[in-house]
Amino acid sequence: MSVLEARNIVKVYGKAEAEGATTALNGIQLSVTKGEFLAIMGPSGSGKTTLLNILSGIDKPTSGEVLLGGVMLHDMDANSLAQFRRKQLGFVFQDFNLLDSLTVKENIMLPMILEKKSVSEMEEKVQELAGLFEIEDILHKYPYHISGGQQQRTAVSRALVNDPQIIYADEPTGNLDSKSSTTIMECLEKVVKELSTTVLLVTHDVFAASYCQRIVFIRDGAIHSSLEKKSERTKFLDEVMEHLTLLGGN
Amino acid sequence: MTFQKIVWKMAKYHYKKYLFYFLCNSAAVLFIFVFMTLYLNEYIVSVKQIEGLVYVLSIPGAALIMFTIFFISYAHQIFMKKRRSEFGLFMTLGMTNRDIAKLLLLENSVIGLVALIVGLGSGVIISRLIFWLLLKSVDITDFAFQLNVNMFTYTVGAFFIVFIISIGQSLYMTMSRNIIDNVKTEKITENTAHKHPAIGGIGVAIVVGSIVGLYVTYTDSDGGEYLLLWALGTFLGLYIALNQLTSFLIGLIKKNKHFYYRKLLYLTSLDYKYKQFTTIMTIVTIMIMVTLLYSTIVYHLYKETEKEVVEQNPYDIGYISTDSKNNLSAEELDRIFAEYGNPIREHLTFPIYFHFQEDYDGYTYQLALMPLSVFNEFSDNPYLVQPNELIYHLNHEVTGEIESLYYRNDLRFSSNGEEVIYETTQVIAEKHFNYLGDLFILHDADLADYKENINGMDATLHLIHVENWQESEAAVLALEHAFHDYNAKTPLLDVDHVPLEEELFYIDSRVDGYESTMNANGISFFVTIFFSILFFIGSFLLLYIQLFSEVDKEEQRIQKLYRIGITSKEVRKLISQEITTLFMLPTLLGLIIALLYIIAMAQDIGGIVENPLMLVRFFMLAGIYFVILTVFMNFARKKMFRDLVDFK
Ligand SMILES: Nc1ncnc2c1ncn2[C@@H]1O[C@H](COP(=O)(O)OP(=O)(O)OP(=O)(O)O)[C@@H](O)[C@H]1O
Ligand SMILES: [Mg+2]
Repeated sequence: MSVLEARNIVKVYGKAEAEGATTALNGIQLSVTKGEFLAIMGPSGSGKTTLLNILSGIDKPTSGEVLLGGVMLHDMDANSLAQFRRKQLGFVFQDFNLLDSLTVKENIMLPMILEKKSVSEMEEKVQELAGLFEIEDILHKYPYHISGGQQQRTAVSRALVNDPQIIYADEPTGNLDSKSSTTIMECLEKVVKELSTTVLLVTHDVFAASYCQRIVFIRDGAIHSSLEKKSERTKFLDEVMEHLTLLGGN
Repeated sequence: MTFQKIVWKMAKYHYKKYLFYFLCNSAAVLFIFVFMTLYLNEYIVSVKQIEGLVYVLSIPGAALIMFTIFFISYAHQIFMKKRRSEFGLFMTLGMTNRDIAKLLLLENSVIGLVALIVGLGSGVIISRLIFWLLLKSVDITDFAFQLNVNMFTYTVGAFFIVFIISIGQSLYMTMSRNIIDNVKTEKITENTAHKHPAIGGIGVAIVVGSIVGLYVTYTDSDGGEYLLLWALGTFLGLYIALNQLTSFLIGLIKKNKHFYYRKLLYLTSLDYKYKQFTTIMTIVTIMIMVTLLYSTIVYHLYKETEKEVVEQNPYDIGYISTDSKNNLSAEELDRIFAEYGNPIREHLTFPIYFHFQEDYDGYTYQLALMPLSVFNEFSDNPYLVQPNELIYHLNHEVTGEIESLYYRNDLRFSSNGEEVIYETTQVIAEKHFNYLGDLFILHDADLADYKENINGMDATLHLIHVENWQESEAAVLALEHAFHDYNAKTPLLDVDHVPLEEELFYIDSRVDGYESTMNANGISFFVTIFFSILFFIGSFLLLYIQLFSEVDKEEQRIQKLYRIGITSKEVRKLISQEITTLFMLPTLLGLIIALLYIIAMAQDIGGIVENPLMLVRFFMLAGIYFVILTVFMNFARKKMFRDLVDFK
């Protein structure tokens, strides 16, 4: 069963007929099944962020449609879209996107607070997630007092707090060292395995991508190819590397 | 690309930051200058010592000094905070400390200089405008707007000193830090030390103590001497309390988790901002308090003066005439007043018998006698007087009981070698007649007897109401001229001990009474209103820079919230709540403190219970303040929305 369905997505920046128009996406077809751990890879400027923004409703496609959990995204107005996003989607960003004025715990809770959940429910959820990602000890610290890896784990917890259908992660390891990157990817793996939440990852990082079950490669705004993980991770990593040299050497 | 070009390019890109800094400095210069045009006005300088002006000026003067120093250095800090991270970048690119210092000095002196020029220029205009508006609405004649060299030199000097100190501090900080610190300054946000609620409690105690102290000591005329001390106490306590208590209060709110989480974004952002803004909040609170306190006092005095003038002059115009003096016909009078568009509404005449006596010191005084029948016709309830008795009419009000014995004043004279006494049996203590002092009301027959024995003059007292006494000045003057011309043509009076004509045949009018009292109090009125306006503007200026100096940080925060799915509606609500708090908190605090000060300061006029009108007037002014504040707040909110929400 697919959670996410993208049908023939085209995105043109600027007026289509005009000189400076860029076709960022050109007919993307994508289907993500429930509980899948999917990576989207591609060279810089290939349209990854654009695609993610469209899949999450932040941006509207020039043509094509996005179905999320059976709901058509571009039918919604800005307000209900914002609400839909915080209820049904979770986001992990490269720059963590934590609020400096809130503690780790409060940052995690924030989407629930916006949803006006009860105090006990929120506390319970935070404890559960903090335990899972080993950040119980820093719950009362402020973001500028904890490491990048800890900040990103906070962000992952926050993304999960409303039990979303799917998590979008745009370069979540982009600002992290390799050790922290490993931790974060293990966390996302846990998300898929233990919470059976779908994760869609956009990355440059081959190492990070090797944690996923499937990788979709895009180039110049179109899907170029895809790889399925059939073996263990280290082997898959080699496979991806090989594929990338193939992709890069046009 | 040379360094200069890079620096220039960055400056152009960040022009808003420079503009903001420049505007703040211009506003500060304008502010100092406007104050100086008042403070150094020759007339004010000459009366400063004699009248109670020193006392009127003390609290606002102190608050104003605090305000300007703070305002300039704060604007400088905001500017430098943003600038310093760029300096760090320049340094990593190879600029030396010396280069940075040069750059900093250069851009600051250019901005300072232009701000000085613009501030002085607009200061001349604004100050003239305020003078013009005030002089138009407060009737003061011997006072005018003026410019002198000192106003400029003092302003430049004051601005220069504060500005130089701020720059010196920045230079020192920039030079003594290393590159990394400079790059990171924006990140190392005010991570202030832990707060102590106990110290906050002491702050509250100081505020309460100073107000109680004022209340207790402000009872006699020299209570004002300590006013400044008490006020400084209140300001200091307020600062300590605000500085220490807000985090503590939010900590208390945290105990109620349900409420705290519901208001999480609002409360935390308030807490976060408050750490940086306590000084601003304190100063805004003080300015609002001073504005309200002084405008209430002045407004109250102003209104009371008017009331007093009306009480002192029950009729708009009063004068006496005799057959040969001031004797214009009714038609003539009508014509004069009609000509000035202020026709006569009511014209009463009373026959009065005057005579004059000399006391032992050679001082002449006059006695006025009125027949009972005439008085009874005028008064509502008929009085009864037996022969050889009289009513002594004080023609002014008396506080407390009238003990007739104390006020009684008998008339004695000899008739055919026999002493006759008219005894006082009643005393009237009311203001009934303009022009007249005390008078005797006698039985008509007794008065006729009296006239036969005492040489005096028959006169007519005229009491006139016109359409609008406030506008009657010109008409009264015209009447005066007409009388003068008339009297010059008639012979001098032949009555014993008669005083000079001018002392007898003048016009006693409301409008003149009003003018002379207003002129006496005018200067303190003027100064106070002037201050109120300055402070009013100043408090808004502060709130404004407080709001918009951090708008880019705010934008980042809102952006983050959008990314996790906050709706525009929720953002609007959040911004709205924050702005409301920022505006309303100091306003409410200032209002409460001003109210308490008014209650305390009413002690020397018999306590607030005796003067309920003062409270009414306070709330009226507070209401007006609130309305203007709300308008300004809505304006700020709209702008905030435009900057942070609508661009999406
Ligand atoms: N707001 C925009 N307006 C115009 N063109 C844009 C806009 N955003 C992206 N583009 C263009 O669309 C194309 C795809 O950009 P996108 O940011 O999706 O790439 P990306 O794959 O995420 O790159 P990177 O790996 O560097 O993040 C690029 O050519 C980019 O220049
Ligand atoms: Mg990208």
